[in-house]
Amino acid sequence: MSALVLDALVGGRAPRGGPGFRLPPLDLTARRGEIVALIGPNGSGKTTLLKTVAGLIPPLSGRIDRPGPVAYLPPPGAVSAGFSALHLAALGRAGRRRWSPGLTPDDVEAARAALARLEVSDLADRPFDRLSSGQQQLVLIARLFVQDAPVCLLDEPLALLDPTHAQAVETAIRALADEGRVVLASSHHLPFAARADRVLAIGPDWIEAAAAAHALGPDRVRALFGVETSGCPCCGQPLGFGS
Amino acid sequence: MTGLRTRGAPLALALVALAGALTVLATGPLAVPPDALFAALFGAGPPEAELALALRGPRLLAALTCGAALAGAGAGFQILFRNPLASPDLLGVTSGAGFGAAFALLLGAGAFLTQSAAFAGGLATGALAVVCAALTRSGDGRLALILCGIVAGALATAGLGLVVIAAEPYSQLPSITYWLLGSFTRATAGEAALALAPVGLGAAILLGLGFRLDVLSLGDEQARSLGLRAGPLRLLALAAAALMTSSAVAVAGVVGWIGLLAPHAARRVVGERAGQLIPASMAVGALFALLIDRLSTAFGPAELPVGLLSAAVGAPAFLALFVATSRRA
Repeated sequence: MSALVLDALVGGRAPRGGPGFRLPPLDLTARRGEIVALIGPNGSGKTTLLKTVAGLIPPLSGRIDRPGPVAYLPPPGAVSAGFSALHLAALGRAGRRRWSPGLTPDDVEAARAALARLEVSDLADRPFDRLSSGQQQLVLIARLFVQDAPVCLLDEPLALLDPTHAQAVETAIRALADEGRVVLASSHHLPFAARADRVLAIGPDWIEAAAAAHALGPDRVRALFGVETSGCPCCGQPLGFGS
Repeated sequence: MTGLRTRGAPLALALVALAGALTVLATGPLAVPPDALFAALFGAGPPEAELALALRGPRLLAALTCGAALAGAGAGFQILFRNPLASPDLLGVTSGAGFGAAFALLLGAGAFLTQSAAFAGGLATGALAVVCAALTRSGDGRLALILCGIVAGALATAGLGLVVIAAEPYSQLPSITYWLLGSFTRATAGEAALALAPVGLGAAILLGLGFRLDVLSLGDEQARSLGLRAGPLRLLALAAAALMTSSAVAVAGVVGWIGLLAPHAARRVVGERAGQLIPASMAVGALFALLIDRLSTAFGPAELPVGLLSAAVGAPAFLALFVATSRRA
């Protein structure tokens, strides 16, 4: 099994007391090495879908075939920890240490290497809580390399970041995919979606996976967000359809 | 370099606590030279050293055990709930143990039975909080646990109030009040040693969980996404902390502040990682308990209750620590 397969998956929350919430059914096969960008207005269910695929909330119906463990990264600012960035990155190996009370030197080495790879070695000994959002996000993505799950789900990985950090994070996301992982990342930053391999758009009552150039055409963006634009509705940046 | 410092720090703190313990054994109205004390420890010392050991040994053991237990449990709760205000009382364990002891005293139970009732009361209250929290279906279980802990603790406190009203005012009430104020002197060597087993078991569980506590402190979603079973692991950690707290209250009565203060002091030295913070907190807690026990005998022949002293010393110390930390931040 080398792909993430969603088979008539319906995510949402069952009506228990309050009003329920139901996403349209979704069929998707995401191959290893592929970045799928998840776009849609606030409240359309991006986070619900990601958490469903991650196994954090049960699907209402349908099937999910995962090629292995799934790593889920919440939006920047959602993780808080008083210990060092290095330790947080090393905790990516937590699931592999069944009985030992401590992480191994090998785990710490892996964390050090991952931080070095994202050029944030200097943050290793600083308390995670004292880092900026951008630095925190890079450390958490380093943890994804340490965790080495074949599927990485990222919730708004570029939110709150300045252009420099956004670029560094996007490069790191591409590296995650290039090493053969499935990457599913939600974002409101459409230029990021334009550079992804595919775009999964969630509208009010529809859900559609398509090539970036199609999914981000002016008519599709209007259907999704209700705005007229040929570029990014947020920043006006042109949507360069790269790879 | 930082790694070495933090790795050695819990051990260094434990050695300081040990040195403190030996000092307490050797000094006081009956001074004993260290070599005589060591000889007595191995059963072949001069009579005055044997006497010092017999007089001071049990309460020393009780103080060390309770201090370490409350501090270790407090550190565990603070990590699990990622809340610096969490203390061993969080699940209502302390109130439950106090209720258990008071109820036993009301029925005229002896010392051992009172301690057993305190132990059982503490664990039962903690279990009640956990079961109530399990009935809710909130996303991250921690808030439900805190609220249910408040509920269980309030029930136990109400029960304690009933016992106090029902108690015979001239004989039972003073003994209940005195018991609740805490003391390291009522435990015999055997009873204090008996408490070592559950405290040791709880500490072993928390230390064995190690970095998993760090993962749990990130929240349920993160823990599950990192491949850990958050629910069972947290239950195990809570059980360990409740076991340690109940044992401490059973031996010494209600001694507050250690579980809150010691982890904060230890955190300044070793940082936030559970693997370092828990052993370091236990060492600091043991040392603090020694200190207030020595202080309790310092004001004349009548001993002050350690529960009072721990608050009188602990509260200002906590404030000083808090001010110092917030200024540095």
